[in-house]
Amino acid sequence: MEALFHETISSSTIILFAALGGLFTSLAGKINIGLEGLMLISAFLTPFFSQLTGNLFLGLMLSIILCATLGAFTYMLHSRYKANIFVVGLAMNLFAAGLTTFLSSVLLDSKGTVYFTLTTKIRPFDLPLLSDIPLVGILFSHQNAFDYLSFVLVIVIYFMLEKTFYGLRLKTVGFSHRTAESAGIPVKAYSYSAFILSGIFCALSGAALALPLESFVGNMTNGRGWIALVAVILGKNNPIGVLAAALIFGFSSTLANLLQINTAIPPKLLMTIPFLMTLLALIVYSAREKE
Amino acid sequence: MRRRELIFQRVAIIAISFAAGFFVVFLTSSTPIESIRSFLTVPFSNRYFFGNLLTLMIPFIFTGLAASISFQTNEFNLGIEGQCYFSALIGTWVALNFGGIHPVLAIPVIVIVSALAGGFFAFISALLKSKYGVNELISSLLIGYSLLYVTDYFLEGPMLDTQAGLITTKTIDKSLLFSKIMSPSNLNTGLFWGIVFLIIFYFILKKSVFGLKMNIYGQNTKFSEYIGINGSSVIHKTFFLSGAMAGMAGIIEIMGVHGKMIRGFSFGYGWTGIAVALIAKNNPLWIIPSAFLFAFLESAASASSIFSDMTPEISKIIQGMIFFLVTVSFMRIGRKKKTQTK
Repeated sequence: MEALFHETISSSTIILFAALGGLFTSLAGKINIGLEGLMLISAFLTPFFSQLTGNLFLGLMLSIILCATLGAFTYMLHSRYKANIFVVGLAMNLFAAGLTTFLSSVLLDSKGTVYFTLTTKIRPFDLPLLSDIPLVGILFSHQNAFDYLSFVLVIVIYFMLEKTFYGLRLKTVGFSHRTAESAGIPVKAYSYSAFILSGIFCALSGAALALPLESFVGNMTNGRGWIALVAVILGKNNPIGVLAAALIFGFSSTLANLLQINTAIPPKLLMTIPFLMTLLALIVYSAREKE
Repeated sequence: MRRRELIFQRVAIIAISFAAGFFVVFLTSSTPIESIRSFLTVPFSNRYFFGNLLTLMIPFIFTGLAASISFQTNEFNLGIEGQCYFSALIGTWVALNFGGIHPVLAIPVIVIVSALAGGFFAFISALLKSKYGVNELISSLLIGYSLLYVTDYFLEGPMLDTQAGLITTKTIDKSLLFSKIMSPSNLNTGLFWGIVFLIIFYFILKKSVFGLKMNIYGQNTKFSEYIGINGSSVIHKTFFLSGAMAGMAGIIEIMGVHGKMIRGFSFGYGWTGIAVALIAKNNPLWIIPSAFLFAFLESAASASSIFSDMTPEISKIIQGMIFFLVTVSFMRIGRKKKTQTK
């Protein structure tokens, strides 16, 4: 039972980071479908840079800077060069898939799974004191740094969006460019910031995916960026809602894994569960919204 | 003028992407000149390589059509990959189980069943959109991903040929396969199927009332409703046709080249189709050079990796560049419009 809980958390973390990234662009009124690609780039580059520099934190920082740049680039193509935002996002996903297979083939001479040797390992640990509290203690035990970080960030973002000028202005930009402009809000700057943040969060998401495994394999994000997009929609542009949606999706992939071990249902069919549950959730949500 | 500008842009994009790719070759290859020379010449060096290049065009024509059809309405079918793979399985199943029928009857039945299968799954996304307002881009992608796994399940389980070393189905009866037209390469009569459908869809998209409706719906949905176009009906039909072309992409290759369903044979075809459509700007006639380009990239990369130390993944980098530049290519047109309206 406890293991189920912890596994759900770690599956959710990856989706949650990407979804928080998507949340910012969604608040700015744009859907960034390139989340998947940015995650994939980070899933390769974070362990690669970490191995290269011998420092995990430095590796993560480099990856974050790169993904933030690509996030800004996405918005630049859209706003400055009038490219369709979906097409740019799609290009990002396709580019990422090509880039990572190419890099892993040229830099690491491998076409399959690449294993990295990292000096610092990402391992689950218990938070002192907090983990001893009965009942709630489970929230603070046996999770890795990314899991803890993601929950802290949900709270930070919640306050950022609800209690700061930044949040209010960003929402105004998403609501109407004209309203924002008449209120003196620099629309472009806020939109860029949202896309840069989406890059940063996708970098964290990719890192949270690849670092604990210390390996990379082509297309390892496997649709998680898309599931994260759905989490943004279901979460109704609210970080707490996004967290709830991410937990549901995390649970569905954990369930698939669990059934794979404990039942005779063919694993390939079980692997459709996360996608179909996401679709089902989206249908139910959209149908209710329409009414 | 605009047409010429468009062609110029496309050529520029391709040139820049190749230049970038060759730059990478200079960085990574120990014999860069030799690598580039074989990259550019090997695909045209003999009947075998050139024939296989043309063979690879066939699925790209179909997936390119699938993408172009849905893009015409500005609605995105992102499930092409899964629709193509799953329909190929269905078509193979039909081909394996209805052996006795005369090929003239059986071949169309196999292709139609595959097209129906692909069309059906794309149609679901359109239905979810019109009924419940579900984002078609996400739903088609999620269904597409699921289809990949479902197909693999059948391929590794119920339909596996246990005698074969690879994960494949049994071989389809020879009488049902397309004939080769350029030995020793794999080029087959499937190419004519592709060309026929390109022409058909050229007329549907560019010359028919339905094509015009798709276009108006794509440009301005509200306006299309105002002038009495039934939006739901347009996207239902559009997605069905898009999925049907995706469904044909796989089975045509199986009947033309492999003779059986092989795991992963079509991976990437759907995404390449989207790139083909973007370069062709959804015009079926432009799909021919566009599909040729991507087929060339793939075959040049794999052929030259035989003759030099270049990794075949170089094609992925060039493709990646093209994807990005194609979005930027609206740059000049977009800017010009802006200055004109000012």
